[in-house]
Amino acid sequence: MNAEEKVYHERFMREAISMAELALRTDETPVGCVFVKDGEIIGRGMNATNKTLNGTRHAEFIAIAQILEEHPVTILNETDLYVTVEPCVMCASMLRQYGIKGVYFGCWNERFGGTGGVLNCHSDTSVDKPYPVHGGIFREEAIMLLRKFYVQENDKAPEPKQKKTRELKTEILPMDIHAPKPS
Amino acid sequence: MLADTLLSGGLEQLSIVARKGALVPLKTKDEVRAALETFEAYILEVPARWAGAVKDAIHAAIPNLKTADFQHLRRVVQFKYLPVHLQKKYRPPHPSRPRGDNVYQESEDAPAEEDDTARYFLISPVSAIAHRVLIDVLLRNSPFGAAPKPPIVLTISVPALAPCSAEQAAQWTLDYWPISYKNTNPFGPHPNLVARNALEIAPNAGSWLALAEEVGRQLYDLNFGEHVGCVIVDKSRGSHEIIAVAGDCRWRSPCAHSFPRDGTGNVMAHSVQRAIAMVAKKRLRAAGRDSEAASPSDIFCENPMTDLERHFYLQENLSTTGYLCVDMDMYVTHEPCVMCSMAILHSRFRRCVFGRRMPLTGGLTADTALQAKREQTIDGSGLGHGIFWRPTELNWKFLAWEWMDEDSTTMTTTISDTRQV
Ligand SMILES: [Zn+2]
Ligand SMILES: [Zn+2]
Repeated sequence: MNAEEKVYHERFMREAISMAELALRTDETPVGCVFVKDGEIIGRGMNATNKTLNGTRHAEFIAIAQILEEHPVTILNETDLYVTVEPCVMCASMLRQYGIKGVYFGCWNERFGGTGGVLNCHSDTSVDKPYPVHGGIFREEAIMLLRKFYVQENDKAPEPKQKKTRELKTEILPMDIHAPKPS
Repeated sequence: MLADTLLSGGLEQLSIVARKGALVPLKTKDEVRAALETFEAYILEVPARWAGAVKDAIHAAIPNLKTADFQHLRRVVQFKYLPVHLQKKYRPPHPSRPRGDNVYQESEDAPAEEDDTARYFLISPVSAIAHRVLIDVLLRNSPFGAAPKPPIVLTISVPALAPCSAEQAAQWTLDYWPISYKNTNPFGPHPNLVARNALEIAPNAGSWLALAEEVGRQLYDLNFGEHVGCVIVDKSRGSHEIIAVAGDCRWRSPCAHSFPRDGTGNVMAHSVQRAIAMVAKKRLRAAGRDSEAASPSDIFCENPMTDLERHFYLQENLSTTGYLCVDMDMYVTHEPCVMCSMAILHSRFRRCVFGRRMPLTGGLTADTALQAKREQTIDGSGLGHGIFWRPTELNWKFLAWEWMDEDSTTMTTTISDTRQV
């Protein structure tokens, strides 16, 4: 990735991060994304699993639904995804079935990742066309948002959990990042 | 009207005939790996009374031998426990075998099964010591040092990992080498747990699969989707509560644009996705958050499309305290795609049964075995993901079965193997 490309991709990852920040402010797991066609954002999404009580309403689902309300499905063949956390196995498979052009993400997801973390849904043998992925753009920021979320959730709990789990660590991704909170 | 017939007359009133067949538990990814992985190991025939000494000599020669890695392989066994193909290798007795054991000499003509003078010793993996070095070690120790000819060390293949069930242990004992089974399954759900759950859901599984088929057919007839459907059942409180039923809506045009038939359609409207969304909407309703239940986007096709879907959607049969789809079972006509398999996992389902394998696109199966009675050949070896049970990587696991029809001709499908379900 040369300097010019870096600036281009970071611009959209910055937008994805602001979606994740919005999620954080509304008590959703801070994962955000934007879909970009020809240098223009055509869809935005953030996690909505708590609001919908639906564990599948990840940022990518929300954004694609919004895009398909206005555009034919074939637009996704010319569209890139920028998402703060590596797409999970479900979303990675969904993106391939829709024929996404490419995926750029922030931090890896060792627990659910579908584009290298656990499975390689973007590239392994399948009936649908593979897509390229590029991870690590603003990785620390993406992890920091998730950490903040866990501190925020723990502080809200009637009995805050051990102090250890409340420290902000930028290196390690917290577990279960896609699990909506029990009601 | 439909609601009444369902309540009073059951499935027969819908002209739904329960499928007759059986549940076959899916193999986990680790079980498949364990069943295939072998390593080469040395074996040696020794006089019974020298077995301990030879073992000590080996351990002295290979001090860092990790016996814990092959605890499932019996170390020292009698002739009668050897698999037949190995018994044949040791009969008739090889002239170079160490002698000097008088009892042994006398018993040479006795039937092999009664011969208890020899032991068969699994020395180590081949990787632990070179063959020549091993022979040297044996020659430096009793009883081989005094034998007229060098000892014969054979190399055999043995299962690399512990067995998952008593049946598998018995089979491996016939095929490879005597295996010890500790009544655990390190690579998947315990066989007893699987059997107990299968017993519980088997009586109705054929009915729920037939209902899934019907709900899928109705949307297929409307040109909304593929002939795929699913049924979500909550059996945790004893009775069967059907929480949601949904067919496939991938070809439906919820907004301005249609989904071209040469593509994959509206992927997020697969039946599994729709049924899970209906459960979530029922939860919102039960929590008095109706207004939020209004679909955020028509693209998800999460509102019921037919009377049949609506009937179950409107039932107030969800406990108000539940979380996602915990304690619920999923019955789906075909093996769900990777996206839907992971959606089932994200939703914390308890059990899943599918009616037909999707060898090119299914996300649940880990092995490549095809339904035995299907005769068509399918190229491709399956994705092998086994998403239902990967506890070291994924944060949830559930039990999963494929359905095997008694008569394979009763189950027809309009779905091509390259479709995602
Ligand atoms: Zn996801
Ligand atoms: Zn699917």
